[in-house]
Amino acid sequence: MTAPTQPPDEGFNEKDQRNEMDVAEVHGSILREQSEPRSGAEPVPLWLLTVFFSIIFWAGLYLAYNSGGFRADVFDPTHGAAAGDAAAQAGPVDPRVLGKRVFTQNCVVCHQTTGLGIPGQFPPLVGSEWVLGQGWHGDNHLVKILLKGLQGPVQVKGATFNNAMPTWSQLTDEQIAAVLTYIRSEWGNAAPPISAAYVKEIRDKTTARTEPWKSKDLQDIPAEKAPAEAPPAPAAPAPGASPAAPGASPAAPATSPSAVPSASPAAPAASPAVPSASPAAPAA
Amino acid sequence: MKPQSLLSSINPANEPDALASYERAEIDASTRGPVLLFFGSAVFWLLVGSVLGLLAAWKMTHPGLLDSLGFLTFGRIRPAHLNAVIYGWASSAGIGTGLWLMARLCRVPLMHSKLLVSAAVFWNLGVLVGVLGILAGDSRSIEWLEFPGYATPILFVAYACIGIWAVIMFRYRKPGHVYVSQWYLLAAFLWFPWMYATANILLVWQPIQGSAQGAVNWWFAHNVLGLWFVPIGLASAYYMIPKVIGRPIHSYYLAILGFWSLAVFYSWNGMHHLIGGPIPAWMISASVVASVMMFIPVVTVAINHHMTMRGHFDALQWSPTLRFTVFGAMAYTIVSLQGISMAIPSLNTLTHFTDYTIGHAHFGLYGFFSMMMFGAMYYIVPRLVGWEWPSATMIRWHFWLVASGVLLMVGALTIGGILQGLAQYDPTVSFRSSLDYATPFRWLRGISGFLLLAGHLVFATLFVQMLLKVGRRKEGPALFAAPADHKPEAAV
Amino acid sequence: MNKLPMIFVGVLITFASSWLGLVVYPFLALGHMQPAPDEDTGGYFPPTTTGLAVAGQRVYAANGCIYCHSQQVRPAPLSTDIAKGLGPRRTVARDYLRVQPAFLGTMRTGPDLTNIGVRQEEANWHHRHLYDPRSVTEWSIMPSFRFLYKLQLIQGQPSDDAVKGLTGPLAPPAGYEVVPTDDAKALVAYLLSLKRNYPLPEAPLPPAKK
Repeated sequence: MTAPTQPPDEGFNEKDQRNEMDVAEVHGSILREQSEPRSGAEPVPLWLLTVFFSIIFWAGLYLAYNSGGFRADVFDPTHGAAAGDAAAQAGPVDPRVLGKRVFTQNCVVCHQTTGLGIPGQFPPLVGSEWVLGQGWHGDNHLVKILLKGLQGPVQVKGATFNNAMPTWSQLTDEQIAAVLTYIRSEWGNAAPPISAAYVKEIRDKTTARTEPWKSKDLQDIPAEKAPAEAPPAPAAPAPGASPAAPGASPAAPATSPSAVPSASPAAPAASPAVPSASPAAPAA
Repeated sequence: MKPQSLLSSINPANEPDALASYERAEIDASTRGPVLLFFGSAVFWLLVGSVLGLLAAWKMTHPGLLDSLGFLTFGRIRPAHLNAVIYGWASSAGIGTGLWLMARLCRVPLMHSKLLVSAAVFWNLGVLVGVLGILAGDSRSIEWLEFPGYATPILFVAYACIGIWAVIMFRYRKPGHVYVSQWYLLAAFLWFPWMYATANILLVWQPIQGSAQGAVNWWFAHNVLGLWFVPIGLASAYYMIPKVIGRPIHSYYLAILGFWSLAVFYSWNGMHHLIGGPIPAWMISASVVASVMMFIPVVTVAINHHMTMRGHFDALQWSPTLRFTVFGAMAYTIVSLQGISMAIPSLNTLTHFTDYTIGHAHFGLYGFFSMMMFGAMYYIVPRLVGWEWPSATMIRWHFWLVASGVLLMVGALTIGGILQGLAQYDPTVSFRSSLDYATPFRWLRGISGFLLLAGHLVFATLFVQMLLKVGRRKEGPALFAAPADHKPEAAV
Repeated sequence: MNKLPMIFVGVLITFASSWLGLVVYPFLALGHMQPAPDEDTGGYFPPTTTGLAVAGQRVYAANGCIYCHSQQVRPAPLSTDIAKGLGPRRTVARDYLRVQPAFLGTMRTGPDLTNIGVRQEEANWHHRHLYDPRSVTEWSIMPSFRFLYKLQLIQGQPSDDAVKGLTGPLAPPAGYEVVPTDDAKALVAYLLSLKRNYPLPEAPLPPAKK
């Protein structure tokens, strides 16, 4: 590389001009200043290059997972793949598949993919009496926690945790039912599934409550078992939760914008819309 | 570099390269008219912008303040503030600094400087028409492009004269090394007209459809910062730091890496202003990635500047130029890392739509760029007018007022913004809480506005005194403290 | 790096890449979208912005509403916008088909307005709120837009379009009435037209929750 130095004199040879200049015009500030800046030639440190290449590697991975297939009509990268799955199945969604997806998107940050939580911070779900409905814990408590959140100290498998779980009421009844069904049957847990109808029932009963549950509040509510009326078989639509399936919609035109026949299965649909809409949806 | 004492440095007989000094004197004389005009108008718009910003800040805590007058409503004062400081203050100061640096580094006098003087007049006319147009109710409400359609052509014509001249100067440079500051300046003067023309055509004159406007808007608005102000600010830092302390910049190779990685990644950053917004997912993801990649140019430049300064930090005690410039360079590193964190979607969801972003913008445009421009002006103006800054005490006041002002503002908006964001994120918390949390911090921000305005008044007073050559001629530079003898840094 | 052509071409190529990706691409991909047919009614989504509401966009821009109010709903896993009741679904490019300009906004000093026409359907509420926000919401920090209204003496019968139910310090004195100017009427028409509660193929509505 060129050794970039400031040649002190060369390049200025207009001596006539210099002579014409009034010496007083060359101010003290100009006379005392340093020569024009130059560049040194220290090499780029190796550790810096290593850091940069790891960032570039991460960037490639991130883009691969979040590009939404570089399509102009995919607005939500995390749903891009999900929509593809749903289209491939072209049928009702197994609650455990939907549940796993909901769990991956919302729960793994605290409870981890292993369901073991983080000791001292976030309680485990594996073998947890809260999840399986053992002891004083009922399935109703579990649903209530998802709908309103949980705050303050809790005892799980003999350990104490003091943290806050946010509310998940923005999830639909189907999504909550699916994720609960998933955590009750994964990692060796074996508790019966929970139906969307049961979630809806509890959601309707607890609309008045605004603040998160506390452990002792729940203890005062008698434990219930979730009704086993809705079998885990994916074919059964959750009663009451999908009000206007497209097949039945001619009877109720325009009043129910929730089920749009034109919903395309390839679209990055919010996943709960898929089970009810897809059977009658035209192939895009 | 040969060590010089303060006294010998003033005496031409002791100057080792007197020829170079005559050359510089000639170049400086050729830039005097346009550069002083740009600097003077910059200072004027700085005061206008500060008053508008201060009013907007206090309207956030006192919504009833002057609310019966349409042209003083918050929604007009705020864009008027933004455009006055962006196009009036920052761009004028940047153009003045850029032209001077370009002439100095190309070692050619500025030709046809009268054309640039008229360009400066047109530029100011454009800003004036634009700001008055916003206050009169012709704002476009396209962020950073609020100027009404009749103001932008004036600005563009003015810019064309300026940009072409900067590039032509580069074409006629004296042979020899092309210094890193010149790369940045050349790039900035080429990038700005491209982005400005694109954005005005697609958003103001022939608007494209729907949410694609959002994409073009933020591509432009982020690039004004990243590819117009940042290169000029860095060019100034790359010049002023080695110039004042009298040693070469640490590494040519780091400079190359920093420059090209900025060029490649920065222009892709803009969509991080639309995370979760109605544009295709891949565009947002590309911007998230490009924003994180900004780590490369930022850290590279930070290392290069820091290693150059190493062993010379005591110069900050006496050199005003260096103190402002190094403050700006440190702010650049911090604000860029902060910007990277804000582009990560899970954090963006909290900080987006809150005062946090306002704090970040002020940290970048003020803490970095404006401080850099103050530093450059403290160096350049004495060489143009042949007069020393009249009072080191006033420069010290200027520094501490604006430094504390900008830190208070950024700190207050950052904390207030986080609380506001947490309240807006939690579905169980009412909207009112997000206001209540932010309000005390908005008071602090309003107070910081007074500090900044006071600092600007001090600076404007100094600047006018320089133009009028008030007082008695001083023999040496205005320094904060007496420098240690035989230190090259004394030669500021 | 002493060669002008190398620097020149380099800075132009790097910038051209983002210009193609972030400007030309959306121009081609999003610049010519069509509304989606609504098979239930034979209409189209999004509905056309008509009449006064078109003029209202200019008033919205002139008075800088976007500096405090966004118009976009972010999706659920990323944000809690939907849980917060800003809208039933996220907004997508097609929602902004009929508006000029697209007021996406970057601040929520005030609430998001994507669906303000759904939340507040009554024109008089908007007029009261614009005239004196604190008479409607005590803790509001929105400025009064009373410069868009005329305070006038009641001539015989009160005007049909006078703002009703004004209270507080800015309420008109007895015998006077507050009448919206054309700008105020246009602004309110625009606000009432803000309803992004219809389904789109790329953004269907979630199943109704009873």
